[in-house]
Amino acid sequence: MPETVIETFELTKKYGYITAVNRLNLKVYEGEIFGFLGPNGAGKTTTLLMLMGLTVPTSGTAKVGGYDIIRESREIRRIAGLLPEGAGYYEDLTARQNLDYIGQLNDIPRLERKKRIDELLEVVGLKRWADVKVEKFSRGMKQRLGIAGVLIKKPKIAFFDEPTIGLDPQGTKEIRDLFIRLNREEGLTIFLSSHLLYEVQQTCHRVGIIRDGRLVVADTIENLSRRVFGGGRVVMEFELTDVNPELIKNIEAIDGVSFVKQEDHKLYVHMEKDKAREVSETITRSGSIILLMRPKEYGLEDIFLRFYRRD
Amino acid sequence: MAGMITVCSKELTDHLGSKRYIILFALILSLSILLAHQGAEYVRHHPRLGFMAAFTGAQSGFSFTAIMVIFGPIIGLSLSFDSINRERASGTLSVILSQPIHRDSVINGKFLAGTIALSLLSTTTIGIMCGVTIYILGFGPTAEESIRIVIYTLFTILYLAFWHALGLLYSTVTKKTSTSMLISVTTWLFFSIIIAIVAALIAFLLVPARIPTVADGNITQVIQSEEFKEAMRRRVQIQMNIQKLSPAYLYSEACNLILTSNPSGGFERPVRSLTLAESLLAIWPNITAIIAALIFCFVASYILFLRLEIRPER
Repeated sequence: MPETVIETFELTKKYGYITAVNRLNLKVYEGEIFGFLGPNGAGKTTTLLMLMGLTVPTSGTAKVGGYDIIRESREIRRIAGLLPEGAGYYEDLTARQNLDYIGQLNDIPRLERKKRIDELLEVVGLKRWADVKVEKFSRGMKQRLGIAGVLIKKPKIAFFDEPTIGLDPQGTKEIRDLFIRLNREEGLTIFLSSHLLYEVQQTCHRVGIIRDGRLVVADTIENLSRRVFGGGRVVMEFELTDVNPELIKNIEAIDGVSFVKQEDHKLYVHMEKDKAREVSETITRSGSIILLMRPKEYGLEDIFLRFYRRD
Repeated sequence: MAGMITVCSKELTDHLGSKRYIILFALILSLSILLAHQGAEYVRHHPRLGFMAAFTGAQSGFSFTAIMVIFGPIIGLSLSFDSINRERASGTLSVILSQPIHRDSVINGKFLAGTIALSLLSTTTIGIMCGVTIYILGFGPTAEESIRIVIYTLFTILYLAFWHALGLLYSTVTKKTSTSMLISVTTWLFFSIIIAIVAALIAFLLVPARIPTVADGNITQVIQSEEFKEAMRRRVQIQMNIQKLSPAYLYSEACNLILTSNPSGGFERPVRSLTLAESLLAIWPNITAIIAALIFCFVASYILFLRLEIRPER
């Protein structure tokens, strides 16, 4: 069992009457990329701010890297980095100067700082832009600068709040690849908050879904998929030239098929076990031609929506 | 502590390189050279008043202290009116606070940097003021006068630091820089112009006295009557007491006391000059009031800043 680096205990934050985070219990293990999923306003940002010691919980507590978020928040900020949502940089300073300031605030000695800044600008692909003022930067470049700013302290844990929001597909992919590389090569634990399901599916080992400040579920995507749709169950998608009610009745009569859903010329056959062969035989016998046949894959979206709707 | 020094040095570099600081500095500096010339002329015509009159005396228009009274709020407020809310809006604040520093390092560092920049400005301008005056007059201040100039400089720094702290408070309280700018301009207008008008109006309403007209015949008789003199005196008293709410007035009053050693602030002919100790004693309430206001502004912004929710605005 890998070591737990983040653990929350009944973590709660109220703003007036609104409960932003409600008795959250969460564990993140060392070396994983944890996806923190939830719709806007679910309490993701508030949770991150509490974990970094930037806002005080109303009740409950948490430990990050073994430090208490209330009493030892400064230690946490020493070993953990945060790229906040809507992070900004000093526009009138260059990329290098911005990173240097962050480095200074982390008490990194001068020579070490210079070396690390050069390395990081290389890593995030801003080397050519090192001495250009940030006001000239695109959104994607600023975001990459932000990632460099998080990494300059050589953190054990990195929090990223909606890191790819507002970026073009190219920029999104670059950042995603960077996360995977940092995780693999440096063993960095990444806590990624997002509402972009695809992004989470592509990068994260485990996901936690938060809704109305409560953690609905936390597990690997495979396990979640199994929990939602049950083990061994299969859904096959067929596209046919002809569909008639009798055919549907015949398919449903096959042992192991639970039910059939029709959408125009498409049939979704829900089966207890794989009966694809029998189904296609039945279809062919009816005189219809199969244009397309494939197992329907459940994406994170389906899982997410299932957990989101369930009360 | 380390965080505060880092923030302070960054902010100081920003200030010294910022357009607004350079413009204001250049303006005050060039004005002070002109005013030194004017002040020196004044001293030449009133040799009895001594070297110090160069700061307060003016043949025409404004003296150096009058300029500082008016420009002081602008200089102090302009350095700080957007220092917190701009960083909050642009998202730099959340990045800075995610670093291993105490939150108060940011506000302490900003305040310290502003105070250093303002000290630099005051010391330089007053220094140049003295230099030019000495050059024109051909003689310098006596030892006692030098001490008075040092006190005057420190008091000027304190005055500017107060406005700086007020601007810091505005930038902490408001979310938009446009709001804090508007409040700053209003504050400046209020304390440098409006309060004088209001004070005069209140005094006029509280102490009714008929200004004699030609129709009354012997105007001099009315004006010289004890009754009329008393009414005028009371009006001035009320006016001054109301204006004492204004830090600008407190500053200008104290400047006159420390520089010209004239207890009545020029309203009446001085009986004798005040000694240094007496001057200090006389300006002590003013110094205390400005220090108290400064501390209030800083503590209020400090507390508000520590409680600030830094989540970005949507």
